[in-house]
Amino acid sequence: MAIENKDLEPNPKPRTVAEMGCGECATICKLSGEHLGQNSPCIKLLELGFTPGQLVTIIAKSPFQDPVAVCVRGTVIALRKQEAECIQV
Amino acid sequence: MYSSVKDSASCHDRSDSVVVPNDLPVITLVGQPNSGKTTLFNLLTGSNFKTANYAGSTVEFSVGKFDAKFDFNALIIDSPGVTSIHPQSPDEETTIDALFHHPVYKLPDLIIVTADSSQLSRQLYLVHQLIESGFNVIIALTMNDLLEKKGFEISAAKAEELLKCPVVKINGRKGAGLSDLIARCRQQYEMVMFENAKGKIKRPSPPTEESVITLYAFTESIEKQVLLPKEKPIDIKTVNKKIFNVRSHDADEYSVKLDKLFLHPFWGLVFFIVSMSAIFTSIFWLAQPIMDGISEGFGLLSSWTSALLPPSWLSDLVAQGIIAGIGMVATFLPQIVILFLFLGILEDTGYLARGAMLIDKPLSKIGLNGRSFVPMLSGFACAIPAIMAARTISNRRERLLTIFIIPLMSCSARLPVYALLLALVVPPDKPWIAGLSLGAIYLTSLTIGAIAAGIISKLAGKKGNSAFMLELPAYRKPVVRYILKGTYYKSILYIQKAGGTIVFCSLFIWALTYFPNTEPAISTEITNNLTREEVFKLIEFERTNTSYAASIGHMTEPFLEPLGWDWRVGVSLISAFVAREVFVSAMALSLRISENGDDLQASMLESMRVATIANSDKPLFTTASTIGLIIFFMIAMQCISTLAISRKETGSWKIPIIQQSVYSIAAYIAALAAVNGLRALGIQ
Repeated sequence: MAIENKDLEPNPKPRTVAEMGCGECATICKLSGEHLGQNSPCIKLLELGFTPGQLVTIIAKSPFQDPVAVCVRGTVIALRKQEAECIQV
Repeated sequence: MYSSVKDSASCHDRSDSVVVPNDLPVITLVGQPNSGKTTLFNLLTGSNFKTANYAGSTVEFSVGKFDAKFDFNALIIDSPGVTSIHPQSPDEETTIDALFHHPVYKLPDLIIVTADSSQLSRQLYLVHQLIESGFNVIIALTMNDLLEKKGFEISAAKAEELLKCPVVKINGRKGAGLSDLIARCRQQYEMVMFENAKGKIKRPSPPTEESVITLYAFTESIEKQVLLPKEKPIDIKTVNKKIFNVRSHDADEYSVKLDKLFLHPFWGLVFFIVSMSAIFTSIFWLAQPIMDGISEGFGLLSSWTSALLPPSWLSDLVAQGIIAGIGMVATFLPQIVILFLFLGILEDTGYLARGAMLIDKPLSKIGLNGRSFVPMLSGFACAIPAIMAARTISNRRERLLTIFIIPLMSCSARLPVYALLLALVVPPDKPWIAGLSLGAIYLTSLTIGAIAAGIISKLAGKKGNSAFMLELPAYRKPVVRYILKGTYYKSILYIQKAGGTIVFCSLFIWALTYFPNTEPAISTEITNNLTREEVFKLIEFERTNTSYAASIGHMTEPFLEPLGWDWRVGVSLISAFVAREVFVSAMALSLRISENGDDLQASMLESMRVATIANSDKPLFTTASTIGLIIFFMIAMQCISTLAISRKETGSWKIPIIQQSVYSIAAYIAALAAVNGLRALGIQ
């Protein structure tokens, strides 16, 4: 399962939200949860508002770098690393 | 996916019964978590509502009627917050199922959806799903002040035109816009009352990536059309579409600033630890004097009653059974009130979600959730409020696991037991060893809890679906009135839900220790030199000694013997089921008299030191057997109230029975291993 925003230029070096630094801002290009198989959280993430083309900002990271607090569509959502890795920017 | 304390706060139960005629309009409140739904529900109903569980689940919903001042006779049903009409967790599934087929009420005539206007595109997602499903929707826009801080305001008229349903701006904190909302409800109901809703409402098919993206594209376009800049810009072109979109999608500025401190990798953690320790100690110390007062008060009441009534089993039932039972419920109240007060403040300010995020990582390693932390911490004060606090965990599996391990946290009722037993093994001239050992006991109980959680989540398997997606709501100044009200209702709920079971169980224990030999004969030889009070104590002891509890105690003797305990310890352990600290008084009672009847005044410790195992001269409380007892108390679930609350909160006897048997067996084995290990090392 891969959900892409076709209007966006393909990112030469795709990264995930989990790799973004604190305060960093980026545009979601793709959601991909293949590595999690049946438990892919992609639909849930989409429903929460993490749709391709949306801007995401890292508000804070926990002391253990997991979970991360991500700003999307005017709210802040804490995601575990596992879920954050599904969001490519 | 995420429910909150606020959701459970809505389960206040005050009116004795809300009469439910079938022809009343049914209005259901739906909304995303943190969208102000529960506040609106409280405002609309006043306090006239009651709660119930959805059949076969622990998910609660509240039902009430509109406050009389609104002059609109309709039922209003609250439901836990959901992000989407497509459920992702069992609890969400129950909520959504009830929307389409409520187990008790008809299909809703109207749905009021609360939508946080500061994050409109997300909130309209659920709104649009509900409209698409065929419900008659009225939108209540909340958090307009947050949107204004971002420099925008919303055009309700434009939104109404685009969404083709009534849109009302409300202010939950000040109660503004409510009469408008009611007027629109009445108007809308008159329009739809003759409609056959059944044919119209259809459950949508499961979402696909495309459908979600399309729906969001739609909500975004609406958002762009209804949001207006608060101050009219001089040049309209400066409100470039892209900048516009970015700004309205910013997080609340003030919250982001605060999060720089509260979610700071170092200072955030320091603040978290300090504030949690402060709350923990206040539950522990602030409540203690009040609890002692209540406990003493009921003790006095109990002794007055037995003095007033003619001595019979009835007076004993009233004094020792009923009054003591009610006293026990009341004794827990101060801790519960303080805990819920603090939880309410943490939740309403928005900090609780941050705390859960900070601590999620280590807890996820043992199959728990960031939200398990507060219940576990509260468990060190008392398991009763702790198990109730586990409601904030929305993932059912993680919630049950948290409830499962809470009895292992070293609650305050164990403290007197530890104090007594430690005094026995520690040399009197080195009291610091006792303090150190107490610290070790607390640390060990936490470790045992972590190990137990780890083992259970390994056994239960399926780690994959434990997602943690938690909205961190904007920080808000809490409304004191709402917090006090919420605390009040939750405390009332505790009395109503757990109170009955606790009183019933303590009556059961009372009966076990009272019957069958209700009027034991004491030979006059012994009573000659004793005061009246001492004779009473003697009779009381003799009765307990020949009671069903004692028979059970004797039956347990073969099991107790390898640990170096005798049946008297067994009886005390059974009595301790009422409350752990009872162990101390029960032990005192059984030892002082059974050793030598005239030695009633001897100090507790002294008699424990000289106590010997029946028919032998072997001492009963050796270092090994006492340490064994301490270990037994650390693990065993010696508390009838915990059992009762676990039954209430998990919805069946399954979990409490497993807890009781697993912890009893584990406690026994651990104590046995410790005693024999120590003996093997030459420590008797």
